[in-house]
Amino acid sequence: MAYTKKRSITARLKYFKPMLIAMTEPFKVIISDPLGRIGGIVFFAILLIALFAPLLATHDPNQMNEKIEGGLIPFAPGSDWQEYQVIGKSPLNDLFITEDSILAAADNGLVYKYTAATGWQEEEIAPGINLLAAATHDGLEIVAGEDGTLYLRKNELNWHKQEIPKQVNINDIAIISSDLAYAVGNDGLFLSWNGAAWEEIDTGVNRHLRSLSFLHQNDGIVVGDRGTILHYRDGEFQPPSFQSFTDATFRDLFSVSYYKPEQAFAVGERSTIIGYDGDNWRIMPNSESRTLKGVTHVSQQEAYAVGLRGTVLGFDGTDWETVPRVTRRDFRGITFTGEQGFIYGVEPYINELAKPSGEHLFGTTHLGRDIWSQVIYGSRTALMVGILAALVVNILGVTIGLIAGYYRGVLDNLLMRIVDIMYGLPLEPFAIILVLIFQPSIWIIILAIGLLTWRTNARIIRSQVLSIVERPFVKAARVAGASDARIMLVHITPNILPLAFLELAVAMGYAITAEATLSFLGLGPPQIYSWGTILHAARLSGAWRTAWWWVIPPGLFICITVVSVFLISRALEVLTNPRLRGGRDIAPGYQKSKDLLPDEQ
Amino acid sequence: MGKGEFIIKRILQLLLTFFIILTILFFLFRLALPDPTAGLVMAGLTVEEQEMVRARFGLDKGLFEQYVIYLRNFVQGELGLSFHYKAAVFPILLEKLFNTMALMIPAIAVSYIIGPLLGVLLSWKRGSKIEITGIIGGLFLRSAPVFWTGMIFIMVFGIWWGIFPTSGMRTLPYEATSNLAKIMTLDYLWHLFLPMLTIAIYYLGLPMLIMRNTMLEIMGEDFIELCQAKGLSERRIMYKHVARNALLPVVTQAAITIGLAVGGQVVVEVVFSWPGLGREMIQAVRTSDFPMAQGAFMMMAGLVLVMNTIADLLYSYLDPRVVLKGGSR
Repeated sequence: MAYTKKRSITARLKYFKPMLIAMTEPFKVIISDPLGRIGGIVFFAILLIALFAPLLATHDPNQMNEKIEGGLIPFAPGSDWQEYQVIGKSPLNDLFITEDSILAAADNGLVYKYTAATGWQEEEIAPGINLLAAATHDGLEIVAGEDGTLYLRKNELNWHKQEIPKQVNINDIAIISSDLAYAVGNDGLFLSWNGAAWEEIDTGVNRHLRSLSFLHQNDGIVVGDRGTILHYRDGEFQPPSFQSFTDATFRDLFSVSYYKPEQAFAVGERSTIIGYDGDNWRIMPNSESRTLKGVTHVSQQEAYAVGLRGTVLGFDGTDWETVPRVTRRDFRGITFTGEQGFIYGVEPYINELAKPSGEHLFGTTHLGRDIWSQVIYGSRTALMVGILAALVVNILGVTIGLIAGYYRGVLDNLLMRIVDIMYGLPLEPFAIILVLIFQPSIWIIILAIGLLTWRTNARIIRSQVLSIVERPFVKAARVAGASDARIMLVHITPNILPLAFLELAVAMGYAITAEATLSFLGLGPPQIYSWGTILHAARLSGAWRTAWWWVIPPGLFICITVVSVFLISRALEVLTNPRLRGGRDIAPGYQKSKDLLPDEQ
Repeated sequence: MGKGEFIIKRILQLLLTFFIILTILFFLFRLALPDPTAGLVMAGLTVEEQEMVRARFGLDKGLFEQYVIYLRNFVQGELGLSFHYKAAVFPILLEKLFNTMALMIPAIAVSYIIGPLLGVLLSWKRGSKIEITGIIGGLFLRSAPVFWTGMIFIMVFGIWWGIFPTSGMRTLPYEATSNLAKIMTLDYLWHLFLPMLTIAIYYLGLPMLIMRNTMLEIMGEDFIELCQAKGLSERRIMYKHVARNALLPVVTQAAITIGLAVGGQVVVEVVFSWPGLGREMIQAVRTSDFPMAQGAFMMMAGLVLVMNTIADLLYSYLDPRVVLKGGSR
């Protein structure tokens, strides 16, 4: 060759100019087509969602979201248990009922007060301190809580902080009269109030005391940790007498209800119920196993105990029977006075299968995980797999189609037979086999899609190359002595790029659906969220049959993404088939149809 | 190239392709899993049974010898012993294939009867709102993942309204003496409805749009102008002259679709717990039942190939020009 002068890189680069122009052309075409524009905008929006997923997600998709609230269930003897009500944001620790009002002490220093006129009212009196006990008597109200916090008020005036001898948690209060009250607390604390000052009375124990119940000022029972039961009689504490000693008598007791001299109940850990018959305490068997937090008498023949996970036990005069659950939330106590009673609490609980709300836009899963955040993160997987797989498909398809179409002959024949073989391998089963042999991973999915779906691209590119090779400019290049690689790269590639772009869009839509399908079958990696795995999890949990908010959003996102890609590829067809630009009309007022659907894979 | 020669060439091609797929499958399995009977130890077969299976697979021999034995076993219809069922794979697969076909054929029949009719309507009403609605609707139905539509159908019809069963092929327990007895009942039709609807909707779009596009192409041809000049009614032209000629690509696509559907609708079988080939394969993967998974895959690949060949032959029969061109589609 005569022409051997070394050319500079910039001079070489200029040969790629047609290719660069060909690269920008598709975007212009997408924007000029109205439906293509819609598709482009939607796809761009989903791309943005994927890029900014951490900002858009309202929760960590793996976090099991808990919910805290102050709730109660009103009940009246002889009638059904009523609806669970939420009265505030803090769990209630104690609730005291009088004829015309209800006073409740809650976590975070909150007090809730109910009167028929005002309804429930919230008041914060001790910020940052959990209030554990509340009691009312004739205009006198006392609330107490952690670290020796004790507040008192009379006749709705201001709350006054009281000085007490020990700075330990106060767990329960009982007001006997307007100038006598008792309180129990941690480390064996027992306090007595004479209308002016609080005095400690020695209990002889140093375990935490949890609850007290008084018949009158000289007869009461105090219970606490490790099976502590103390009888307070005439200003003195006496140890109890047990009918029999078992493990159960050494469990922590959380609540006591002293109904009359010959009947009292104490409840505690592992569903322990101990009954008092005037002389002895005895273990009372029942079929529950969860910790009981509260007990109250309705009458001599009727009593209730409540505990964790919504446990309610009823006493029918002889035995304790389980009452059907109203909620599965943890109760902290129960109280009853006169005609009305309340079960109250509750502990923080997993916000499972919550319906869509402001807090959780698409609701939550059976593990309390936020579906909106999962769907948002899922867009990353969908687009990543979609784009990577489409690139693999296209690079394989274009290269093989180019080589087959350019060299023809034996090579072409061989490559096209490989394409025929590929047409014999159904995608999903092939991917299943790959997962069986290797491990489920996102790369297996990309590999399966990439290995199997280039077949269509290769065929289409090949037929395009076959016609381009016959054009004069290719022949001219060949005569001028251009190498095969140069002809393929500089002369043919720019001409097949529009088609390659179209095939890229088609392959992407297909890859996104395929990824969702394979993930749905459980072939995706379990630790990564994708729209398919969300639906897979919904199906596995069995909750999908009722939790529509778990099923609809991921599928809708798949639909929208795939439709947007379809619309883009439809707009791109103008590039490959210039007749679509509105040239030869077939019938008056009719523009040549566009193939709306990509090839069946 | 004559017609007979073309058919023979295509059938030889089919056999060659299938042979290569079998080879790929063999090496994929043997190279990744040198001893597929490892799963048998856990499955609790006795040592003698293990030896028997190993001998049947010829695992004690060299790789090439194994390959020859594998091909010989395949030709004899011996696909091995299922680890899970402790029985020969082939009869089980045949039954599952029947179940799959009992779902796919009605579904494809429905979509390939309604689809082309809708396509005729769309091309007839071109440029109207009906056409736009049809196209956009077809697009959406095509984009919706089929397992998702299935789940929603189950949720709405099966659980909220409770008018259709949510899973299975028949109400359990049932007794059927033969495959035919199994499907000759109302109970089967009742179970068939939802999965069939799901698949039919998914496949509806393709024949509809193919039909529409081909119709529009044919409407531009000279002989239609001649028909118009003869003063034939529009309806007559549409159905007698245009639609009849436009059916060709739809028919071949139907054949290809049947082949693909056997392997391609694994998800629908999973969602509806339909006891078909695809669900069997997923279960085989879960229980590491290699012979079963391998056999199911062979069956699916074989069907795809056979149906593709039938589509090609059908095309050459319906449009003799193809044979003259000599190539595949």
